Amino acid sequence: MTSAPAIQLRPEFEADEIGKAATGDVARKLTLWERITDMNSVRKLTILVIVLAVWELYARWSEVSELILPKFSKTAEALLDGVFNEQLLIMVWNSLTVLVAGYFIGLLIATLLTTAATMTRFGSDILSTLTAMLNPLPAIALLPLALLWFGLGADAIIFTLLHSVIWPVALNAHVGFMSVSETQRMVGRNYGLRGLFYVGKLLIPAAFPQILMGMKIGWSYAWRTLIAAELVFGGSISDTSEGASGGLGWFIFANQMDLRIAHVFAGLFAVILVGVLVENIVFNKIENRTIRRWGMQS
Amino acid sequence: MDAKTETVADNKSATDTAKPILEVDGVTLQYKTKEHLITATYRVSFDVHRADRFVLLGPSGCGKSTLLKGIAGYMKPVEGAIRLKGREISDPGPDRVMVFQEFDQLLPWKTVKQNITFALQNGGKTSSAAEANDIAMEYIQKVKLSGFEDTFPHMLSGGMKQRVAIARGMAMEPDVLLMDEPFAALDALTRLQMQKELLQLWEDTHFTVLFVTHSIEEALIVGSRILVLSPHPGQVKAELNAHTLNHENVGSKVFARVQQRIHDMLFADRILEDEILGEELDK
Repeated sequence: MTSAPAIQLRPEFEADEIGKAATGDVARKLTLWERITDMNSVRKLTILVIVLAVWELYARWSEVSELILPKFSKTAEALLDGVFNEQLLIMVWNSLTVLVAGYFIGLLIATLLTTAATMTRFGSDILSTLTAMLNPLPAIALLPLALLWFGLGADAIIFTLLHSVIWPVALNAHVGFMSVSETQRMVGRNYGLRGLFYVGKLLIPAAFPQILMGMKIGWSYAWRTLIAAELVFGGSISDTSEGASGGLGWFIFANQMDLRIAHVFAGLFAVILVGVLVENIVFNKIENRTIRRWGMQS
Repeated sequence: MDAKTETVADNKSATDTAKPILEVDGVTLQYKTKEHLITATYRVSFDVHRADRFVLLGPSGCGKSTLLKGIAGYMKPVEGAIRLKGREISDPGPDRVMVFQEFDQLLPWKTVKQNITFALQNGGKTSSAAEANDIAMEYIQKVKLSGFEDTFPHMLSGGMKQRVAIARGMAMEPDVLLMDEPFAALDALTRLQMQKELLQLWEDTHFTVLFVTHSIEEALIVGSRILVLSPHPGQVKAELNAHTLNHENVGSKVFARVQQRIHDMLFADRILEDEILGEELDK
């Protein structure tokens, strides 16, 4: 026969004095090795070094043609050559100025659209319809039309950039606004925020994680679109500026025509480098100062 | 000291307290869900006077939170009227500040102090940044958060967050402070502490507060007058005095008796409902 276990009474006790825990210090300093391996940059840099080493070794030992796959060392050389002898930095600068212009005009338009969408139902209908229609359209496909409307020049590229910035930014911002918690909305209205103040002082900061996400996506779309545009119509468009050089896309295009493949690789490298730098320095800084500091993202 | 304050209060009462500060007059509130039109409260009436610690007490589904939202101005009654100082309420406004249950009522992108100055400056309390700063610091000190004024809300514990929210609400010096189960998301020990602190704060200035809770004990401790609501839809069941009850007599007979009385009121409904349900099931 089994019965439910009975409670076993044991004597009570109370500690007179709690001594130090035997583990030593409660907080121990991490060792140098622990700290180094904890650094994100160190771990990622290690991966990068391995990839580059594999590239170099493969190109060296497989006897693949320089025209197909130049060695990494050759590419690095070409990169330096580009920087010091072929105005690569100026080309990057040319690309960036066009990009920044398009990006900020795009942000402005996206802000207006989203604000309208938040304040009126008609605005919301406009935004969702336009986004659904135009978001799937690759920006680069608009370039021929843009050339027709604005002529050969930076204006045409900026127009296509606008297209690649506005939709992701507006879409993300709108989703962000919609997902602001009901409590926070009520708090805002409780303290008398109305209309544009409500958007500016409550919705935008409350939705900032999503807005920033949209801005990042918009930036990377714009960067790709720009390089593509310069690649396709590169020379003719960008040669307008002081007889100089055009953009980064043109650097890649022109060197491919001359079969300087190491330089093509160097150009691609520069594209990646700019993208990574903007992502990791500019956007990371913004994130650290805003949403991470506010505890809205870990 | 006691005699003096008494006479002052009495003088005041002759002029002021004859008229309630907040009148809820036959209010029916309804809201829509995807499939239903829900009647949250049906013809609820009560008056809140200055310096009341007025508690809306009832089980879930009695529309007490909805009622508070109506008073805050977030929803309009389909029937009846809500008047603050004789004026009908139409919109949310800083004369009725709400303290919510949710911790995210603090704006995460503002520090403790900024959360309060933000309210003061946008709510039209003051336009001077320096003055807002002074008021904020005063109330931060009142809720015992000195030293945390430049901390962002995500670094604070739940109880501290609620303290900031209360400080923000009190700093606005609203006609009535609305509290929607402000301590419900806290652990039991913190909740007890917060109830005591709220009463201490009330002792200072005798602000008018409307407090929603589903805990009978909390209602008796915090409230000076209690409106008991029955559920589905919310209707007034009783209005009781509890100004003599607080933490010190939680275990006492009087306290237990009132507690039992309210419990019976609310529980009687439950039994009735169960019986109806039972009969329906029998058929």
